[in-house]
Amino acid sequence: MRTTLFAAALGAAALLGAIAPASAQRTDPCAGPITFGTTISATGTNSTLSDRWMKMTEIFEEEFNRMAGGVALSGCGGKKVPIKFVMYDDQSVPATAVSLYEKMATVDRVDLFVGPDWSTHGFPVSQIFEKYKTPSVMSNVATPRVYEQGFKYITGLAFHANTWSQNYFESLKNVNPQPKSVFWIVHDNLIAKTVYEIHKPIAEKQGIKTVGEEIFAPTTRDFTGIILKIRAAKPDIIYISSFDAVSVPLVQQMRQLRVTAMDVHHIMATGSLARQINLEGVTGELYWHEGIKGPYSDIALKVLERAEIKLFDYLWTGGRLDSYFVMIQAIEKVGKLDREAIATALRAPGAKWKRPGGEFEFDAGGLSKIVAFTHQIQNGAPVIIAPAAQATGTIKWPSPTWQ
Amino acid sequence: MTAIIAQLVISGLLLGGLYALVAFGLSLIYGVVRILNFAHGTLLAIGGIAASIIFAVYKLNPVLIAVVLVLVFLVFGYLMHIYLLDPLKKRNPFEATIGTVLVTVGLLLIISDLAAEIAGPTPKNIPLEFHAYIVGEVIIQRAELYILGGITLFTIALHLFLKKTWFGRAIRAVTQSPLGANICGIRSKQIHAQTVAVGCGIVAIAGVLWSLKFPVDPYGGFDLTVRAFTIIILGGIGNLVGALLAGLFLGLAEVFTSFLWASDWAPAVSIVLLLVILVVFPRGLASVRK
Amino acid sequence: MTGSATEKLALAAIFAIAVIAPFLGAYYLTFVFTMLIAYVVAQSWDWLHGEAGYVNLGHYIYFGIGAYVFSLGYINELPVVVCFAFAALFTAGVGAILSYPLFRLRGDYFAFATLALLPLFDLLAANLKGITKGTDGIPLPPKGVIVMGVDVKVFSYYVALAVCVAAFFLTIWLARNKFGFALKAIRNDEQAAEICGIRIFPVKLKTMALGATFAALAGACYPWAYRYIDPTTVFGLNVALIPIAMALLGGTGLLWGALIGTILLGTMQQMLLVQISGFQATIVGIVTLLIGRYMPGGLLRARIVRGTPGLGALGKEHHERLGVRPAVGAAGEALAIERRTIDPDRTILTCNGVTMAFGGNIAVNNVTLEVKEGEILGLIGPNGSGKTTLFNLISKIYEPVAGEIRFDGHLLNGLRRDTVSHVGIGRTYQIPRPFSDLTVQENIAIPLMFRGDGGLARDAALAEAIKFARFAGLEARLFDRADALNLQQRKALEFARALACRPKLLLVDEVASGLTPAEVRAFVDHIREMRDKYGVTVIWVEHIISALSQVVDRLVVLEQGSVIADGPLREVMADERVLRTYFGGSLKEHA
Repeated sequence: MRTTLFAAALGAAALLGAIAPASAQRTDPCAGPITFGTTISATGTNSTLSDRWMKMTEIFEEEFNRMAGGVALSGCGGKKVPIKFVMYDDQSVPATAVSLYEKMATVDRVDLFVGPDWSTHGFPVSQIFEKYKTPSVMSNVATPRVYEQGFKYITGLAFHANTWSQNYFESLKNVNPQPKSVFWIVHDNLIAKTVYEIHKPIAEKQGIKTVGEEIFAPTTRDFTGIILKIRAAKPDIIYISSFDAVSVPLVQQMRQLRVTAMDVHHIMATGSLARQINLEGVTGELYWHEGIKGPYSDIALKVLERAEIKLFDYLWTGGRLDSYFVMIQAIEKVGKLDREAIATALRAPGAKWKRPGGEFEFDAGGLSKIVAFTHQIQNGAPVIIAPAAQATGTIKWPSPTWQ
Repeated sequence: MTAIIAQLVISGLLLGGLYALVAFGLSLIYGVVRILNFAHGTLLAIGGIAASIIFAVYKLNPVLIAVVLVLVFLVFGYLMHIYLLDPLKKRNPFEATIGTVLVTVGLLLIISDLAAEIAGPTPKNIPLEFHAYIVGEVIIQRAELYILGGITLFTIALHLFLKKTWFGRAIRAVTQSPLGANICGIRSKQIHAQTVAVGCGIVAIAGVLWSLKFPVDPYGGFDLTVRAFTIIILGGIGNLVGALLAGLFLGLAEVFTSFLWASDWAPAVSIVLLLVILVVFPRGLASVRK
Repeated sequence: MTGSATEKLALAAIFAIAVIAPFLGAYYLTFVFTMLIAYVVAQSWDWLHGEAGYVNLGHYIYFGIGAYVFSLGYINELPVVVCFAFAALFTAGVGAILSYPLFRLRGDYFAFATLALLPLFDLLAANLKGITKGTDGIPLPPKGVIVMGVDVKVFSYYVALAVCVAAFFLTIWLARNKFGFALKAIRNDEQAAEICGIRIFPVKLKTMALGATFAALAGACYPWAYRYIDPTTVFGLNVALIPIAMALLGGTGLLWGALIGTILLGTMQQMLLVQISGFQATIVGIVTLLIGRYMPGGLLRARIVRGTPGLGALGKEHHERLGVRPAVGAAGEALAIERRTIDPDRTILTCNGVTMAFGGNIAVNNVTLEVKEGEILGLIGPNGSGKTTLFNLISKIYEPVAGEIRFDGHLLNGLRRDTVSHVGIGRTYQIPRPFSDLTVQENIAIPLMFRGDGGLARDAALAEAIKFARFAGLEARLFDRADALNLQQRKALEFARALACRPKLLLVDEVASGLTPAEVRAFVDHIREMRDKYGVTVIWVEHIISALSQVVDRLVVLEQGSVIADGPLREVMADERVLRTYFGGSLKEHA
């Protein structure tokens, strides 16, 4: 009896050990490497957006440590220490992400967090950063409500839903003929709906009247009903607020049913979309583009090249990489590994942060105030048309392929 | 208004035809072998992805792609039945049912994960550009005509195949009485394996046609399986004509719901319809006809 | 509980690990927490599947509904206890309401329909934006994250643990008490269960509602700990089938099945997640497939596991744990059937113009028949003449399209099937339908437990059943499963089960075919004894006239649904029409 009990206890201990290899707690704020904990949706439903990011992150670790030599710690006599990632696949399931972040906080004892992606993950995981008083720079958690919880340790890199299409609507002021009406087609999804709700009044203020709005479920395959409503409404602009994958049949059927408009705008007009359907002439937003050089862009481009990622295909990769760069900048600003100081630095009002796509600030809640680049697909590739400073071409108006 | 209705009808028929095609294989397998194949829709997705990759790399004609895939899927289905499903028939009915659930769910996980690892999880389609016929305000794509024609021809061929050929008769005999068929010299194990093979072959065709119209991804097959279950219950289990009608009806219902009401409620149509029909006719619509 | 040492040890070890896991660190807390939730869902699913035999593929909706109701209560600042109560009650209500349409379905149709519930509720949660906030999901306010200085996950964890413990012991209780026996009877044969006096719908409804309640409690723990839900997290197809896979993996219908399945699959998934990158789903898929292929009864039913000393105890079926084996009484002991004094002039059964049609096919045509108390009536007729249909009408399998049936002062028309045994009708089937995965003892005990007067307690019924088994000559097979019996024994078992209904009228459907003359004689003696000793009236359908002729008082002949002869044996056998029916012409012509 006693031996069985002993064996059972041993077995249980071995089991728990197998699940969680422990590591030591750091004490020296100047010792390297600095560990970043993160999860990536490498499999599961969200992985269409992020399946290559694990490899990319491994390459980032290598290239950053090689090209930049590591993180410069001014508080430690300016020595440079390498970074190291602890990363897991959250399988696109929020509960899995929670357990993995708990693991990284208590078992792997990572120094800082970067990630997770997606609003559904951001809500539950943000509590963990608070609980362990460990700052994180999240990526692609765009819902303002995550940042309205009053949490101290979170910041996030994503387009601000509030300013998502700001450049687009600005640029519409200068086109001729002027668009007078818009039809909104919205993917039933947190981000897509937020973008639509925010831009509807902006468009109306500009004198672009809403002539129709339709929300569709992600499993919708036939859009004839919506398209016939569009044809009847005859809008000047068709604004598609949707993730790229689910809107393939929508755009395809719009083409097939000869929808006409001055412009079709798609908030995620990506390469994966363009490979499946004719996107020529469609306008959209880009987070960053290989053609735009800026701080860290040499490292970022090298990493992207080695990971075989095109930003046009993986629209949100910019947010991922920027979260790494921002965390590195935060450590360098503080000068040593001090979580409290890093958290404070990240949320310092008015602080400027660098990213390959330019400079930006965080808002009061910790969400980046990044305004997207507006682009138009011309000859199969995105051409930046706004803001004017970074533009690589001019908009063709009215859009030639929708006539 | 006529033009609008005509356009909606065309789209509904097209969508419904594709639904029916998904259901055919499942209906055949369930009707004959009594196996709930949870991996069915996922197989379609894999077929679609494979077709899309072959098209992108070799620019093959979709018909040729379908032929290649059908052969591969036939073999797959045959082997799947012989090595995975048939041995379960020796167990008691309770264990056989659970065993098939576990085996087919396991297959679903394996093939969708492998497909995602190999081909990547991004949705894929066959981006063929055909020109369109415009009649008044109604627009019909030539590709859509091909798909519709393909579905019609295929249904007729399948129907004749089951009605006229020895294999078709054997299938029906085994469906009605495995023991009786055995006595008459039909080896029900072989017939079952061949049926599963044919069911998988049909899925390959469905996958190719599907990817001509809609994109597929490795994780997206299961809701098609659910949809196909709905159709075979509406149409009567093992009844291909019924499945075709049920599929067309569903397609039309969804398209009209999204036009007349709201597109976010369109997917509810099939589910509510299924539940209502099951509640009113607990043994499926087929029982009413008898 | 009569568990073995291994079981007690395993339970103690698992419980101890579950209690201390939160102290090992937050990671263990969340990891074990997900398993606790999964176990509750898997186990509550298995009540309906393992016990009652219904495959509810949409069970996860109750988890989701519980999560939503809890969250909505919580953001409206109701106390947590109230939120839990609302979640449980509301979901139980949904389960009860859904029972009405769903239990009209059987087998695979039930599975299809329940599978469709998942996308339906996903859609409802996404589209009923006024209530559920649609795809935005519901974040719980951050101020509740720390309760009394402790992470709310700890509270949620121990609530989930308590629900787990409750679910485990409820499983033991369910398997052992009368309610559980009703479920087991339903799992095997619903019609036979009703004939034994079980009113099946309320039993199924209660099981559904109970399962819904537990899944809802697990569901309520989820947002309490994780602070955010949206439709796909709680209704998604990708998460919904995992608990079912866990229960099947361990072994459905076993006390330890869901628990072991959850621990193994849950741990495996977590290990894969943190140990290797890539192909995790493939590996889980391969394991699932192999278990389905080689151990479809679940891991615990596999021969290797059952054969391993110690582990084997975990794979015990519920009936193997029961172990009620009271002392065997003396042979010839009286059955617990009321001894009635027969009034031979009193009519006990009247069929008046009874007609039954299936579509255009009239199976029983305007049959008028009277049976006196204490009579043994033989019913014969060619195949398809409507004998069994008439039995099915009397035992309420069918409702007649015309005519009325009176029995012992009750009008049977419109009566529910389960009350037929309560008014005093017992029957056997032409092809025996015992509850095949139950023991002989349990088979006979079931009607004793569900008698019209409230029935015997479980142990009393099991003890009483032994007497019936002995009467039917099945004493040696008392603890064997019915599906292990041969045909004659199955017929004997059914006979004993029908007697256990304490019938005033016994309907016997073709017991003699396939039996040896000696066995037939034994049956005939039993039937005579039933009448002579206990005053039971008998109607016996039989093809073997030599068997009938040993005992019947009167013979009724049916042809194409109509009575063509009714009288003493000798008279009827000489009747022209009967002879023509049976031999294609009169004996005289042939002679």
